[in-house]
Amino acid sequence: MIEIKSIDRKEALRYLSCRDEKNIGETASAYLDECEKRLLEVITPKYLYKYFPLITENGIPVIEDCPLPLEGKNIAAHLEGCSGVILMCGTIGSGADRLIRILQIEDMAKAVIADAFSGAAVEQVMNEAEKQIREDFAGKYFTWRYSPGYGDFPIDLQKSLLAVLDAPRKIGLCASDSKMLVPVKSVTAVMGVSDTPLPPQKRGCVTCNMRERCQFRKRGLHCGS
Amino acid sequence: MDLKKLLSEREFVFLDGAMGTMLQKSGLKTGEIPELLNLTHPEIIENIHSMYIEAGSDIVYANTFGANRYKLEGSGHTPKELISAGIACAKRACEKSGREAYTALDIGPIGQLLEPTGSLSFEEAYEIFKEEVLAAEEADLIVIETMTDLYEVKAALLAAKESSDKPVICTMTFEQNGRTFTGCSCSAMALTLEGLGADAIGVNCSLGPKELLPVVREICRWTTLPVAVKPNAGLPDPNTNLYNVTPEGFAEAAAEFTEMGVKILGGCCGTSSDYIRALTNKLSDKKAVERTVKIPSAVCSYSNTSVIDRPRIIGERINPTGKKRFKEALKNGDINYILGQAIEQAGAGADILDVNVGLPDIDEKAMMVRTVKALQGVTDLPLQIDSTIPEVIEAALRVYNGKAIVNSVNGEEKSLQTILPIVKKYGAAVVGLALDENGIPKKADERFAIAEKIMHRAMEIGIPKQDIFIDCLTLTASAEQEGVMETVNALHRVKQELGLKTVLGVSNISFGLPNRELINSNFLQMCLTNGLDLPIINPNIPAMTGAVRAYKLLTNIDKNAAEFIAAYNNAAPAAAPKPVTGELNVSPEGLLFAVRNGLKQDGAIITEKLLETTDPMIIVDEMLIPALDKAGADFESGRIFLPQLILSAGVAQAAFEVIKSKISKEGSTVSKGKVVLATVKGDIHDIGKNIVKVLLENYGYEVIDLGRDVEYQAVADAAMSEDVKLVGLSALMTTTLRSMEETIALLRRVKPEIKIVVGGAVLTPEYAEKIGADFYAKDAKATVDAAREVYGQ
Repeated sequence: MIEIKSIDRKEALRYLSCRDEKNIGETASAYLDECEKRLLEVITPKYLYKYFPLITENGIPVIEDCPLPLEGKNIAAHLEGCSGVILMCGTIGSGADRLIRILQIEDMAKAVIADAFSGAAVEQVMNEAEKQIREDFAGKYFTWRYSPGYGDFPIDLQKSLLAVLDAPRKIGLCASDSKMLVPVKSVTAVMGVSDTPLPPQKRGCVTCNMRERCQFRKRGLHCGS
Repeated sequence: MDLKKLLSEREFVFLDGAMGTMLQKSGLKTGEIPELLNLTHPEIIENIHSMYIEAGSDIVYANTFGANRYKLEGSGHTPKELISAGIACAKRACEKSGREAYTALDIGPIGQLLEPTGSLSFEEAYEIFKEEVLAAEEADLIVIETMTDLYEVKAALLAAKESSDKPVICTMTFEQNGRTFTGCSCSAMALTLEGLGADAIGVNCSLGPKELLPVVREICRWTTLPVAVKPNAGLPDPNTNLYNVTPEGFAEAAAEFTEMGVKILGGCCGTSSDYIRALTNKLSDKKAVERTVKIPSAVCSYSNTSVIDRPRIIGERINPTGKKRFKEALKNGDINYILGQAIEQAGAGADILDVNVGLPDIDEKAMMVRTVKALQGVTDLPLQIDSTIPEVIEAALRVYNGKAIVNSVNGEEKSLQTILPIVKKYGAAVVGLALDENGIPKKADERFAIAEKIMHRAMEIGIPKQDIFIDCLTLTASAEQEGVMETVNALHRVKQELGLKTVLGVSNISFGLPNRELINSNFLQMCLTNGLDLPIINPNIPAMTGAVRAYKLLTNIDKNAAEFIAAYNNAAPAAAPKPVTGELNVSPEGLLFAVRNGLKQDGAIITEKLLETTDPMIIVDEMLIPALDKAGADFESGRIFLPQLILSAGVAQAAFEVIKSKISKEGSTVSKGKVVLATVKGDIHDIGKNIVKVLLENYGYEVIDLGRDVEYQAVADAAMSEDVKLVGLSALMTTTLRSMEETIALLRRVKPEIKIVVGGAVLTPEYAEKIGADFYAKDAKATVDAAREVYGQ
């Protein structure tokens, strides 16, 4: 569906809490090149999205013609002022999971690097999807991508969200019993759509449920770019 | 019903078209469970079936595609209810139609990925499918469709075959590149499913009829079974979701499938009764084309088919015989060591891997299943199951995702009677050893006679000739020098006169002689020249793998020497720590430098040299651990990043291996204490736990790694049986923290004095305390600190 020719190394290094690429040493640097190359050989990036009209019932956002409940205060706040939602998901496929398994046997340092690159690659897939969405719905305004598990938006929704998108059949993306996405290197998200400009939204540490233990925040950084 | 008979009576057998498309037209909303309509609106379902039968479908798929335990969770209905109702709807339509029409139980994917990618086990999947099969007693046949994972099809097909005697059609969904989402190839599908006893195989959904032509052509090449095709009505428009091929266009394109010999046709997404009508009309006066295919000798994993049309190397290293380290790994359940052996051989040029985990005091069956499952998570090389115990072989074949080789059967009556039926049931290939009750015959003629007997007996129970490989047995040249040519001659005759593929363990030839490599590679050449197809060798020895490569070049098998050149001329070695040029600094400072810079080889060499003059524990306590501490401190302060810390740990690991092997020779131990590690039940993210493992090991702790998705009880059992003081638990998701809590509670009950350290992205120190952990580890380094506190060193 889409092709990824290179992976955002800066982003991957940021996941690894590496502040200075110049300072990582010869061995680790060679590992970065090797891992990116091997990852690019095995990933199969795919995404899906679907638009639904959004209505409000008793102050709660409800997706029309769709059994997916939008539970929680955070998602309601996120979608305030929106007349529609895009449900979306993306994955780089099971090849990445497999490669990381192999690398954990070969050399754990490579596995950790490939893991970070994979995370960066999924973000690229989702960015591509968003780019396409913005083209499809030119003239509309969008919120940022909000995922199950953020704030009080339940992660239990993964299975139904994927079912609505027919993701297991269309791109081989499923949820496990414990609501994990499989392949692991995948993302689901909800984006609000509006006909009129949306007010700037709070994004970042305040609404994040990782804020108490975030390694980025501890160092005065943050995870979103 | 008798599918074979139906196919012989008709030119073509017509399936139905889409159910989902028709249901959406009837007002089914996105995300609703379609099978509920079997109960709430049976008339709609029955009507759709009637329309298809009226349009010409001989077989209709009941509305049961997603009626499995997992998908129906929370619906308030059981698979049994919805399947019975669904079958009844289809049956009524068949009966009312007044023509000969059959009802199929439709089994779709569970909706959750199987191991190793997902967490659903093969055995659980089997049970889910079995429940569906048992709920459909009234159905005439079973279809397993829209599958992308060969492993899942295998679970479903075994469930269908073992719980019913109905015919089974299996169709998978392919992408334009000829593979499914999970990487399954057409050849692997065909080889595996025909072997397992499917009655017809093919493809459904995926693409439009035109795009599917190459996929169907490829499937036809690899199976003698009838081929079924159920394409979509073209490709969907991304915005409107409408399909772009008309009924006439569909029929036109589908007719091309019949030229390849396809006899079973229908439609999938986007097709309706109009499409089926167009199809039946189009083919009404067409004759079916009879297919004649000759399937080559081949084995496969789910994604990689190894055709034995040239010498293929079987790697022999996964075998404990004569290997102390391997035996130790088996006893400790150290699966990663075994996986390392697989990856190394794959990298060296093995085509197939022999798997032998037999050791007197272990549960060989359990270990074999665990090993096969783990191996297929990291290698796509086909496996050869090496055991003498029928139960072990069967257990391995059952969980193997592909077509394996069984090593072995022999000419003894008992062996023939127990092994061959298992080989047949699971559709494997088999190695026949040219020996019997009387041992290994001295003469080539006698071995040939046994080979012939094995061939006849295997073919009698339906094992195809191309799946029988004969091992004429290597004797050691030092003990029985006159026997060497008997082996070579027997091999030659088996190949020439019986036309069977041959296999041979080569390395034994030189046992007891000096310069074994020279003897081995020459003997290998002699055998290859005389028709050896499957040499079982150590592929990590360049001379052996090289002999096979050279043979393929010289016999014009390796066209344009492409493979040879790729192996030797194009040597772009993967990034590996470079040894420092010049003299190594054999000193504590040199070791520190190696650890700090990730120089594994240097670290090992320096350690070896230091051991000549220094006490091992001094190297550990005064050099390695301070060096690791320094790396840990640099990591904490952000001077180095995680991969560098792990690289340093890797050097320490190499140094430890050197020390361990020295110490084990002296009979003492280097262990500072045992730690049980597990990623909790339900959680499949285990990279964090594995990092912790590396670090703990390099600080001298012995780690019992239980893996991921570990049952509470298994953690408790290990803590008890290994008598450890510290257990480490990891969980990545909020949804699996509950498992962590349960595991801790159980541990507290069975071993109140045990210390527990927990870690994982979503944990906080407060939460760790709340669920009763003794330590919260924010990273791998912190786990080491916990271990130091517990063990006091």
